[in-house]
Amino acid sequence: MVDKINEILSEVKTKIEQAGSESELQSVKGAFVGKQGSLSMMMKELPKLDASLRPQMGKMLNQAKKQVTELIDNKRMELKLKASEVSPDFDCSVPGNLPLGGGLHPITQMCYDLNDAFRSMGFEIFQEDDITSELYAFDKLNFPQNHPARESMDTYWLEGHDSGSTNEKLCLRPHLTGGSVRYMQTHKPPYRFVYPGRVYRNETTDAHHERAFFQYEALIVDKDITFTSGKVMIKSILSKVFGTDVPVRMRSGFFPFVEPGFEIDMQCQVCGGKGCSVCKHVGWIEVMPGGSPHPNVLRAAGLDPDEYTGFYVNIGLDRLVMMRYGVDDVRLFHSADLRFLRQFR
Amino acid sequence: MKLSLSWIRDYVDLPENTDLKKLAYDLTMDTVEVEDVEYVAERFRDMVVGVIKEVLPHPNADKLRICRVDIGVDEIKEIVCGGINLEAGMRVAVACPGAEVRWHGEGEPVKIKNSKLRGVASYGMICASDEIGLGDLFPASQEAEILDLSAFDVPAGTTLADALDMNDVLLEIDNKSMTNRPDLWGHYGIAREIAALYNLNLKKIEPFEADATSDFKVEIEDPDRCPRYIGVEIEGVGVKPSPYQMQNRIWKVGMRPINALVDITNYVMLATGNPTHAFDADNISDHIVVRLAKEGEKLQLLNEKDLELTTDDLVITDSEGPVALAGVMGGAKDSILPKTERVILEVANFEAAGIRRTALRYDNRTEASARYEKAVDPERCDQALALSMEFFKELYPEMKVSGYCDKYVKKLKRAEIDVSLTWLEKRLGKHLTNEVIRNKLEILGFDVQIDGDNMHVIAPTWRSTGDISIKDDVMEEVARMYGYDNFEATSFTTTFEGAINQKDQDLIRNIKEYLAIRCGMQEVYTYPWMNDVFVNAVLQNTDGVLRLSTPPAPDLSYIRSSLLPNLCEAVVKNERYFNDFAIFEEAQVFFDRNYTSPYDPTESLPEQKRHIAAAFASSVKKIDELFRDAKGVLEYMPRYTHMAGFTFRKEEKPVWADNVVWLNIYLGEEKIGDMGLVAKKVSMECGVKNLSVMLFEIDATKLQPLKSRTNRFEHLAEYPEIDYDISMLFDADTIWKDMYDVIMGKKKASALIKKASFVDEYRGKQIPEGKKSVTIRLTIGSNEKTLTSQEIEKAADQAIKKLSKAFGAGLRTQ
Repeated sequence: MVDKINEILSEVKTKIEQAGSESELQSVKGAFVGKQGSLSMMMKELPKLDASLRPQMGKMLNQAKKQVTELIDNKRMELKLKASEVSPDFDCSVPGNLPLGGGLHPITQMCYDLNDAFRSMGFEIFQEDDITSELYAFDKLNFPQNHPARESMDTYWLEGHDSGSTNEKLCLRPHLTGGSVRYMQTHKPPYRFVYPGRVYRNETTDAHHERAFFQYEALIVDKDITFTSGKVMIKSILSKVFGTDVPVRMRSGFFPFVEPGFEIDMQCQVCGGKGCSVCKHVGWIEVMPGGSPHPNVLRAAGLDPDEYTGFYVNIGLDRLVMMRYGVDDVRLFHSADLRFLRQFR
Repeated sequence: MKLSLSWIRDYVDLPENTDLKKLAYDLTMDTVEVEDVEYVAERFRDMVVGVIKEVLPHPNADKLRICRVDIGVDEIKEIVCGGINLEAGMRVAVACPGAEVRWHGEGEPVKIKNSKLRGVASYGMICASDEIGLGDLFPASQEAEILDLSAFDVPAGTTLADALDMNDVLLEIDNKSMTNRPDLWGHYGIAREIAALYNLNLKKIEPFEADATSDFKVEIEDPDRCPRYIGVEIEGVGVKPSPYQMQNRIWKVGMRPINALVDITNYVMLATGNPTHAFDADNISDHIVVRLAKEGEKLQLLNEKDLELTTDDLVITDSEGPVALAGVMGGAKDSILPKTERVILEVANFEAAGIRRTALRYDNRTEASARYEKAVDPERCDQALALSMEFFKELYPEMKVSGYCDKYVKKLKRAEIDVSLTWLEKRLGKHLTNEVIRNKLEILGFDVQIDGDNMHVIAPTWRSTGDISIKDDVMEEVARMYGYDNFEATSFTTTFEGAINQKDQDLIRNIKEYLAIRCGMQEVYTYPWMNDVFVNAVLQNTDGVLRLSTPPAPDLSYIRSSLLPNLCEAVVKNERYFNDFAIFEEAQVFFDRNYTSPYDPTESLPEQKRHIAAAFASSVKKIDELFRDAKGVLEYMPRYTHMAGFTFRKEEKPVWADNVVWLNIYLGEEKIGDMGLVAKKVSMECGVKNLSVMLFEIDATKLQPLKSRTNRFEHLAEYPEIDYDISMLFDADTIWKDMYDVIMGKKKASALIKKASFVDEYRGKQIPEGKKSVTIRLTIGSNEKTLTSQEIEKAADQAIKKLSKAFGAGLRTQ
């Protein structure tokens, strides 16, 4: 009988060890310590034994039953800790739920990125009205009467305000620079500000031309500024926007309101300067005009150009956003098309 | 503008091995933007001169011939061709397989392959001039005329580029980059700039010495508009083609060769940048007078345009009246005609702005007016005259100058500028030696005298018509000649005066981020002009709305006084793809009133405000849900964006709103906006199909940012608080605000009720007609102890009793 008990014990130990689930454990339990289990059945045979052996055997059987129950309980705990709360075929590849589905317009995002960068360099943010007069759109910016530029920017004049002297003629602003003069007139130098805004040109539209688009002007004016300080400003902007140091070059350019004037090019980020269709195979892309405010512009703002000078850049936000994301049609920005806008959350 | 490199080389000794990429780069960096560098010969790749040996009939086609052509290889090639002027012995242009041609001079280029035409194999193609882009240089006199190159004495197999002298390079320059540089509008000017950039020798054009016999006379009535006029009467000339070399150059840079007399004038303009003109002298009566046109005078131009002149137009006249529109275009009557034998050559200088006004007035801009309106210097007439006379002598060896008159009535004054060297160094941010500065300027033709700190600069004549006028211009010349890339970036100094604090700017950003990020709405931008359909549907009244005088389209003339019409349009556009969405826009609106300007007392700007508006559109949400979405966005906005809070009233229904679902938004006692459901009629007029649309619009200029965050800390509840829901039946027109006031108002139902919140309302099944069931959540608790269930019940009961008493409401029994 002792042998048999030991044999059962070793068998039950193996079975428990092999059990991989709760239900298997249950059947092991039933087979050995359940009512019809082999140990229980042996218990029933005790009365048939010699009386002298009974106490010892009884004790042994009870111990064996206890041991089996303990082993099963331990195994059960072990299985529980190993297991999952869900079935093993839970699909973790299903997509997550979309958080609230809103977003800022990609132009606003770019504008705020730039605002953050400039604020960190101590620039103020300036904002002005969209409707301006010819006085501020052209006169104060050193555009002579009859200058070709007055027409090249075909301007949206307001009905009933489209003739007369230049302080009476009103338009949707064709550029931001006139607003910079307003800022300078009402603040004390030195100046360090950025001026984001929307401008309007009466043009035929296509994938690269829009009637309403966004500019971002930055201006510093102080006593001892050289145009080379402008390089720092430009590099800061572009490295902020593109996340890496973007090579830039300044070359000679002409705009009535700056002297000297520059066209500022950045290395084409599509081909890395090797030349591709985006940069018309020159490796550089024109991103902004810049320069030192023309003495006449400073005078219009009430400053002495012998004392003050500065540096200005005017960035086309639409073009930067197009480059950032590879957008190929500028008209999408004013489309209010959620299929487009929701890509920039 | 296109410039021929071989032409530029006439004037500057540019080494043969010059790296053209670098030349284009240097010009771009320092002077003008070179947009393209084109090797002209590339256009004639795989094209050769062939000599037709024999012309045979085509067995299967009447109009085609089989030409046996020698193209300089061992074997005679057979080429099928439909030309009408094919003859044995003729030299022709053969496009070999691989060449690109345009069929009949039209459409996209097509690559030539070996092919069969009507069953006969053909090697390449014998070309008409327009098929290989030479239509302007060798105009065909009739359809299907093959380009006859017999005049070019070259052996068969010579490449077409060699035969036609096309081994040239064209620099394409962005005109916009040189509007301020009148001196660069010709090959000589660019040659001069290149000579300066590379320190090369520039050839001089020797002046012409007149030796006239007759008393030819020119009068100038308006010296301001015409500072100089040279007239040369030349006999013994006639109309004939100009030499091929001259035609070739004129054609390469984009003009059309006409005849020798016209070609000379165009060539001289392209070379010097100074336009010239030739009149048929037999058609000029008496002498030339340059004056302003008189009232009522007429002129027919060379292009047959009939002009009614104004007294602001400068004209060239003879005793009978105007013969040319000065600096713009010659007249029809006195132009060069086939029988012309005697010409008057005009080499003149006109004032820029006047030429520009006239050219624009008649929408008649020409190569000449484009140059004059940039402000050409009158000294340049000498070059143009010398070069013209050189060609007349060369082309008409028998010619004679019979009359000559140079009226130079308003001498050009060279610009003189004093520049302080200290100032220059400060602005450049770099020390350059006096020698470097002097050298950079002198090489450009400036005269420089340095005396202590003062540098006296005299600009060359060709830079003295406005281009160089202030010391900043001189600084720019020094900087660009030194090379912008050679200046190191210098950082600017920071003066710390405290953090930038712009609460109004921050508030707009906070609101936009709140709407987008917290409320899940999408920002959009729309145009400032509104479509009439939406103006009529949403605004309904256009009093005080500004309009554009030349709008993008006739139905887009109103500029917005509200953001709502365009938001409705955006809703309609998006309905095709989405059935539940919310959008917002922040932009300026404009009103035809309150004209004023804080900047200039003479300026008057209309009232302009910044608005924020939103549209909530859904065909899946119920209207009460949509309403609560929109109202929630507004209610929580002040708290989340740190501004003074606003309230809702029902004072004045917005015109676009539903009769019941609308609210006015107030800040203190001032109305700052509206919200509401778009009325069915309005949304139908807008073209909305199934969506319900809730709108709000607020005047953001009125919003008041808080100086700092203001909500105060509240102690956490020490004892448990219990949420206790009650559902009661009210008359259907009882409003929540009143219920709330009964529970939480001055006479509070119970001190233990901390909060009463609206859970939902229900009408319909099991609810009697005219009634609604409202579920209210009471938050019950004490600051002193844990309440027993009886105390909780009692507090709730007090609320129920008060509501019953106030509204006759009863508990809803299930």
